[in-house]
Amino acid sequence: MRASINRPPTPSAEEDRDKEPSLREIINIKLVESGEKEKLMELLRERLVECSWKDEMKALCRAYARKKGRNNVTVDDLIHVITPKGRASVPDSVKAELLQRIRSFLMSTTLR
Amino acid sequence: MSSSKDAPLSPRSQLALSCFEELLDCAVADVASECHRIARLGLDRSVDAEEEELRVWAARAAAAAAAGGDHHHHPGGGGAAEEGGSKGGVDVFGQTHPAIAADVVECMNCGRPVVAGRFAPHLEKCMGKGRRARTKITRSSTAGRTRSSNGSAATSYSPYTTTANPNRGSIPNGVTDGGSGGARGDYSNHAPEGC
Repeated sequence: MRASINRPPTPSAEEDRDKEPSLREIINIKLVESGEKEKLMELLRERLVECSWKDEMKALCRAYARKKGRNNVTVDDLIHVITPKGRASVPDSVKAELLQRIRSFLMSTTLR
Repeated sequence: MSSSKDAPLSPRSQLALSCFEELLDCAVADVASECHRIARLGLDRSVDAEEEELRVWAARAAAAAAAGGDHHHHPGGGGAAEEGGSKGGVDVFGQTHPAIAADVVECMNCGRPVVAGRFAPHLEKCMGKGRRARTKITRSSTAGRTRSSNGSAATSYSPYTTTANPNRGSIPNGVTDGGSGGARGDYSNHAPEGC
């Protein structure tokens, strides 16, 4: 699914990749297989809706679509519009909660 | 628990952070996809082009309702310019109808022309629904005979009296040989017409 969206890979993960490429992948597989990734996704979506982060992003998209003409926008355009602001405006509490859950999952599956 | 990225993180924390960022990217892609859909399908009412469409549509409906008179430039108003509901408003062809039906129909009971909007009350009186209405036969004469029946309608409505044409009762095909009177006993005239 990712291949159809033309965007560069997330830059902040590049440092990790040199050191332990396989661990990241292992963790990802464990997340998916156990169903924890889906639960985390649902939790994140719910929190982002509650704190009206989603509404802010939708407003940005609407403004962009209005400026550019609504038939001229692509999904990639919108992703590029949202991503910087979106990453910066996630509330700290939401981020902390998600990180806590991820960390406890990591501790329970691997002993690292 | 500090969330500043400047402090050196343990590998596990870095791992958690990258997981979180991947989840966030998914959420961002979801929102972008949804907004893209809304934009392309024109579901967003506040976009300027859409307001234009709404105004055109509302003006069309208002013009039909006012017979193309003074409501030409009715300013949208959220697209609810039509007078809600189908009665007293505009139908799908753009026609309007008065609240009370104005057609004149013929009553099948008495044969008089009646305005359609007043047809039900007319029928009530015409067919004698019971208490208040009166039939041709006045009350005093039916008081003795038809006590049990609900109204006097029973007496004026008897399709199977013996004085009527017997063909109706015996021969279903309605074969009429001149319609002569008298009861017919035999069924020899009941020629089998392939029944």
